[in-house]
Amino acid sequence: MDAIERRAFVKGAGLGALAFTMGGAEVLLTPAQARSEGVPLRTLKPDEAATIEAVGETLVPGAQQQGIANFIDQQISIPAEEALLEARILNVKPPYANFYRAAIGAINAASTARHGKPFAQLDAPTRHAFIDQMRQNKIDGWKGPSGGFVYLLLRSDAVDVVYGTMAGYASLDIPYMAHIAPTKKW
Amino acid sequence: MATHEKVDVVIVGAGASGSTFAAVLAKAGKKVVLLESGPDWQPTDLISSDMWGRRLKPAGAPFLLQGKNPYGYAYQAGWGVGGAALHYFANFPRLMPNDFKVKSEHSRGLDWPINYSDVAPFYDRVADDVGVSGDAKAEERWRPAGKPYPMPPMKTFKNGDVWLKGFEAVGIKMTPAAVGMNSTEYKGRPACLYDGWCHVGCPIGALANPLVTYLGEAKKAGAEVRARATVTRVLTNSAGTRVTGVEYYDEKKEKQTQEASVVVLAAWAAQNPRLMLNSANDKHPNGLGNKSGLLGKYMMAHFASGTFALFDEDIENHMGTIGAQYFSYDRYDKLAHKDKGAFGSTFIVAGAAQKTSDLGGFANARLDLFGPALADFMKRAKRGLSRMTAFGEEMPNIENRIELASEKDEFGMPLGKFTHTFDEAAVNLWNANFDEGLKVAKATGAKEVWSGRGNQPTIHMFGGTIMGTGADNSVVDSFGQTHEIANLYIAGPGIFPTEGAPNPTYTIFALSLRGAEHLAETWASIAG
Repeated sequence: MDAIERRAFVKGAGLGALAFTMGGAEVLLTPAQARSEGVPLRTLKPDEAATIEAVGETLVPGAQQQGIANFIDQQISIPAEEALLEARILNVKPPYANFYRAAIGAINAASTARHGKPFAQLDAPTRHAFIDQMRQNKIDGWKGPSGGFVYLLLRSDAVDVVYGTMAGYASLDIPYMAHIAPTKKW
Repeated sequence: MATHEKVDVVIVGAGASGSTFAAVLAKAGKKVVLLESGPDWQPTDLISSDMWGRRLKPAGAPFLLQGKNPYGYAYQAGWGVGGAALHYFANFPRLMPNDFKVKSEHSRGLDWPINYSDVAPFYDRVADDVGVSGDAKAEERWRPAGKPYPMPPMKTFKNGDVWLKGFEAVGIKMTPAAVGMNSTEYKGRPACLYDGWCHVGCPIGALANPLVTYLGEAKKAGAEVRARATVTRVLTNSAGTRVTGVEYYDEKKEKQTQEASVVVLAAWAAQNPRLMLNSANDKHPNGLGNKSGLLGKYMMAHFASGTFALFDEDIENHMGTIGAQYFSYDRYDKLAHKDKGAFGSTFIVAGAAQKTSDLGGFANARLDLFGPALADFMKRAKRGLSRMTAFGEEMPNIENRIELASEKDEFGMPLGKFTHTFDEAAVNLWNANFDEGLKVAKATGAKEVWSGRGNQPTIHMFGGTIMGTGADNSVVDSFGQTHEIANLYIAGPGIFPTEGAPNPTYTIFALSLRGAEHLAETWASIAG
């Protein structure tokens, strides 16, 4: 059996898209599709999702459009053992929603103290400077999980949705070469 | 609470060590039950994706992490049938003769109660059992001769070959890495495709995970695997002289008892002591097998110094395996970096397929970059980035330990509290390996080179139930049999009294095969 045949042997056997709820029915979508189709948030509040999108986009261009807020919202709404979040391998204690709420709260509290408004309302250069200080744990009066860890984890989520998928590999022109491909190129 | 019919052996954990014990004992005609707390993974569950691969990582009760270098266990531990060996890198280096008598030779660390020659035949046997590719003759510059590996070395790619010039320049000899992967078809399992998805599980069986090796053999010989069975206590007779079975919660979270003539704890280096501490009773008030007071003590971790080199040309860095194409023991002497205040062995690997995301993904090669700078880096690194890694050894320290916390899990079992700090010699070794890594990288002629520094990482886990010569200095003997209770065994890296520097799973397989065969051979006197 040659390599291509062996790949084909197992192709399509697995999962790959996430289950979102639309109109009371469960549908399989990528986070980008969930965002573009306006799938309602299950756990995050709109202002929390806006913060996630703003931070994600500052960390990795494209993260907003790729549905980082919908990804995190869906992931913190399902049992921890089903989660695909990098939080899982960075020893964050479930439920993961607690971490994200604490991180969002810390970011917006620090942003408001420094600039008089939450992070999502900052302009792009100010967002960039804020994140650079946060990653180095240099924001005075920061309250919550360490800024460096928040940076690591949200950056990882943003990298996941932008570069960690089959579409992300294709955007970099890297051959994906799956044994069992995630469905919907996600 | 239901009590199941007594079996010969109940094994807690269906990873590398539990599967090996199960295969040997089931083939010896014993009735074997494996209890595994996670899901019953099948090869078809192993999706080629870093995100989906995280389902194989722990989702049970968390450990509470303390110390200056908290142990980041979740990346490398397992969750479900196959354990951590379902997603391991399958590098198959051995310990070396100088690992076994560190205390005698250097007046620090601990001695093993056995020598390299006691384990060597089992390395050779495991290689034949599970399939190892490599060049044994080339490795014999560092170790005594043994059998050739059953398969020739794996293919190499430019992303590994580019390092050879650099290593040669600093006087380090690299050889083809021994890996638990198929360079050719082996025992009906296909050859590797070199697509680098090893670390999220190899569904075609080219990589020697338990599902396609020892666990498969065990099931064929009649062993039963019960997934989603979370063991909370090991039970003893009223005299405390023998274990009688285990108590566990099934997938419906109902309490069950499985009686057995022999109990093997193969749950993981941190979980085994947690279980034994939680099994304290009036005859064992400090936990089972803990007369020495060493249960949960001497936890150890490897650390890694990763060095990156970015080349202008396409070095095929998406190709290969996630482990290593080349490895070296040329810095394995415990005193190799003595001039830097370091102590301990270093094991060097180079040439791994690059993926974009996850902890080891190349987005993390420059963790300081974000925004447009990260996007630019991703484009530059996608074909030209490569990494070498030097794994370092820390010495056993009694203060690095597992204890029970006051907080409890959903079954009422106290959480484990894990305290870990690297000593000065380990920190110095980590730094020395970065220094040498940069010299190597610069000598490759790469366009850019840098050290992948961050917090000192904890990689692989050892100790907590160490082996030794008696109950005054250890928890188990060299076969994993507890000194105090003859029919209670411990398997896995928890029984290592020192860790060496290489990836541990080959040694875990070898020690488990040795322990299981000894148990089978002495069954009548042990099982009663």
